[in-house]
Amino acid sequence: MLSAKLLVGEIANSLRQVIGPAISEPYPKAQAYMAATILEFVARQIEERGGSASARAAVLEALFEDIGKLGLPARIASPESHDEGALSDLISNLYQARGEIGETVFAAANLRVRRALRDLLNLDLEVAGKEGE
Amino acid sequence: MSIPSGAEKITSYLKDKLPEASELSLSDFVQTAGGWSHEIYTFYANWRQGGRQMRQGFCVRKDPGCGLLRNLSSLHEQFRVIKALESTPAPTPRAYWYEADPGLLGGPFFVMEKVEGEAPNPWSTAGKSFYAEAARRGALPRSFVEALASLHNLDWKAAGLDFIGVPGEGRDFARREIAKWESLINQSVRKPEPALTELLMWLKANAPEVQRLAFVHGAYRTGNLMIRNDAVSAIIDWELQVIGDPMYDVAYVLSDLNREGSPLLSCVVEREFFLDYYQLLTGLKIDLEVCRYYEILYMMRSAAFWLSASGLFAEGKNHDLRLARATYSVPVVLNMAAKALGF
Repeated sequence: MLSAKLLVGEIANSLRQVIGPAISEPYPKAQAYMAATILEFVARQIEERGGSASARAAVLEALFEDIGKLGLPARIASPESHDEGALSDLISNLYQARGEIGETVFAAANLRVRRALRDLLNLDLEVAGKEGE
Repeated sequence: MSIPSGAEKITSYLKDKLPEASELSLSDFVQTAGGWSHEIYTFYANWRQGGRQMRQGFCVRKDPGCGLLRNLSSLHEQFRVIKALESTPAPTPRAYWYEADPGLLGGPFFVMEKVEGEAPNPWSTAGKSFYAEAARRGALPRSFVEALASLHNLDWKAAGLDFIGVPGEGRDFARREIAKWESLINQSVRKPEPALTELLMWLKANAPEVQRLAFVHGAYRTGNLMIRNDAVSAIIDWELQVIGDPMYDVAYVLSDLNREGSPLLSCVVEREFFLDYYQLLTGLKIDLEVCRYYEILYMMRSAAFWLSASGLFAEGKNHDLRLARATYSVPVVLNMAAKALGF
């Protein structure tokens, strides 16, 4: 059996090089090329699937460990889970509590959060985009 | 019994609207590949009237009920806006009829003039080449700025455009825009997007004040302009218009989002020429810091669009494959925003 990545890649090639050029109507023609583009992304997703989840978890664990050392109120710094939903809540809570925690602590926490966001974005971009191209 | 095609239904509809017409038929009937929210059909109607052969181009925009902007898009509002603009110097198509009855074509729709010209996709190789060549000739860049200034200079109250909503003084405009797109995000999001949360919170904390309220297109760029003989023959895609900060449109023109791979703004106009000529025509001072803020807001808006698009596809409400592809655009635009915010 062909590997899923190879199979998906070949279907994309066929859509781009055989099926798309043979269609004259603009809407279905654009749909054929779009299907090829999506399948190329899916092929990359198949390739990246393994390592991404554990890398994301590591980024989040490290973030919440560091945030816990900044002297923030427990309701902000100690969520029950350390997933991306908790990170979104942390960001909202930091902005809302900005006056309470002070600019220095806010800036330190925001800087650390942004470092984690950058790491998570880089993981997403391994599939969705070619950073630096 | 066969089911009438879209063209047959429209032919029947036009016969009702043009009772003096005989032998009415359609030609060059095309569903265009453009348009993320609505189905768009263009065609010529040909008929005999008073012994003369008539031919007129029409464009139909139909709401499929599952467009990109979900409940934020109103086809009736678009029709009213285009109708109101007919009496202004802004180049726009004439609006003919709006039909709310979904029984006619399968969804509400309106019929407007098919403006002669073309609107090449600026992201395509052919489109880039079209605009680059027009830029070298020089007339289209001037027309691009003049058409934008015609919008920002128009008396929107006198034109009856205040029905689309008027923000309050100060920072209200930006906050209203953020709230609008956040509501789309909340309808669409399928998993937490913390980078988007950071972006939204930053935008809320840094909303700028408006120097003057104007009628704003909301997506003023090549691709949304019909071009004929190196001039803007019509501004199209009336879906994102607001009464708001004219810098919102200026920022869109300045944005890197709309000139991928081209040194020219919107692939057609030199930056310095745009800044100078726009200020001359409008009397407004371009505040680049405010524009930079709106550029970042546009990145958030783009993320909202892509989340909505991929959400509609995932929910089985819209099968257009461009919507599925949008899921991969979310991290790309969030990355642009992150860089703009310094991370």
